[in-house]
Amino acid sequence: MTKHRILIIDDDASITRGVRRNLVATGAYEVRQENHALVAVQSAREFMPDLILLDVMMPEMDGGAVAARLREDPLLKDIPIIFLTAIVSNEETHGSEAYIGDEEYLAKPVDLNILIRVIEGHLEG
Amino acid sequence: MVLVVAVSDYLTGIEISVTLLYLVPICWCAWFAGRGVGVFIATVSAGAWLGAEWLERWSTIQPWVVFWNTLMMGGIFVVVATLLATLKATQANLEATVARRTTKLVAEVTVRRRTEGKLRLANTELQRTQMQLIEAAKMEAVGRMAAGVAHEVKNPLMTLGMGVDYFLQRPISDADDASLLHDMKHAVLRGTKIINLMLDFSKPRPLQPSPEDLNAIVENALGLVRHQLLKHRIEVVRQLQAGLPMLSLDHTHMEHVLVNLFTNAVHAMSDGGTLTVRSSLQAATDTSIVLEPQVILEVEDTGPGIPQEQLPNIFEPFHTTKPPGQGTGLGLAIVHRIIQIHGGSVTLGNRPEGGARATLTFNLQPKPHP
Repeated sequence: MTKHRILIIDDDASITRGVRRNLVATGAYEVRQENHALVAVQSAREFMPDLILLDVMMPEMDGGAVAARLREDPLLKDIPIIFLTAIVSNEETHGSEAYIGDEEYLAKPVDLNILIRVIEGHLEG
Repeated sequence: MVLVVAVSDYLTGIEISVTLLYLVPICWCAWFAGRGVGVFIATVSAGAWLGAEWLERWSTIQPWVVFWNTLMMGGIFVVVATLLATLKATQANLEATVARRTTKLVAEVTVRRRTEGKLRLANTELQRTQMQLIEAAKMEAVGRMAAGVAHEVKNPLMTLGMGVDYFLQRPISDADDASLLHDMKHAVLRGTKIINLMLDFSKPRPLQPSPEDLNAIVENALGLVRHQLLKHRIEVVRQLQAGLPMLSLDHTHMEHVLVNLFTNAVHAMSDGGTLTVRSSLQAATDTSIVLEPQVILEVEDTGPGIPQEQLPNIFEPFHTTKPPGQGTGLGLAIVHRIIQIHGGSVTLGNRPEGGARATLTFNLQPKPHP
């Protein structure tokens, strides 16, 4: 069975580690974590993920700027991105996911079941 | 006075008495009849009297004395009648002036009362606006704090949540370990709920108002807490006025408000009681001004009521009457905020017969929230 590749970009290593352990434990995903926004595009080029989980508020470069760079890259521009953000409430995301423009986002702390459902929705769609 | 002395030189004492006897009714007539008629009556009366005098004295008195008497008495009558008529006219003028000024004064008093009423109303409105501005400033501060805290707290919560989820998916042989993990999961969810409430409170979703039937929202909200009501054996009494005008409300927000109030009532009556929900249309009146009618919604419980000392701060964020760990202290603050952004008002107090009462007031034409 081919595992889907997930790249998670967040400056908080404890979050990327937690997400990675949970997704890997499902047996369905190969996960790479990246904690430095400045090298996120390079990391994505090397890993070529099927989906990117991207934090919004990061000290070196915010998630929006990282997403813009990813979208400028011909190799990466079609990879779906799910934003993770701590500055909205669950009500604003209607309890699960919501959209900023065309990009989907989830409110932290993300429920694992919702995270897996949203990832599967993208990869199967 | 000169005329009186002159006349007395030519008339005897008895003649003066007779003259005065005539003068009194003549003057009386002149006083009541008015100036022009009075002069006429006085002249005719004087002429009649002097004619009689002339006939009586024709044989004994010299003609020039009669002529002189006639002239003098006629003059006296004319002067007295004119004076009296003038006096009467002056009195009439005075009365007319007094009446005119009284009318003007009454009008001024009426206008002043109306103005006072308007001023009172404006003052109330000003105080309300000031309170709202203070409230808005406080909320802004809480909002800034909430946004800052949210980022700093939600990331650790996510780390904890992911860790707990990871271990919960692995086989756990020890029941105590499993219980500990579930407690941790519960703590993460509770922390998440509080931080989300803070964010919602500081930055409520923009209103999406539409014409709504308040009674229908009440029924929906009662449906959402039905299980709690049944579990705690709480009887619901509906006193909902039929045919209320439609209000411009955000359905979701209002349902949230009512569920909060009903849940508080349930917590206050955990051993059973009566929840009364009453809606009505009331004409708001001032002593001198009739205001727009308002829709009133009252939620009453038969619980222990709210401690008097807590009432002034009951809508403050993070103020709770519940035991530690059982309330976020944001429920009533959110109720207050939502009603405010609807342009309405909410008060909370104790009923004289026991229990608490929340009163929500909605204007038919909502005032914008500053």
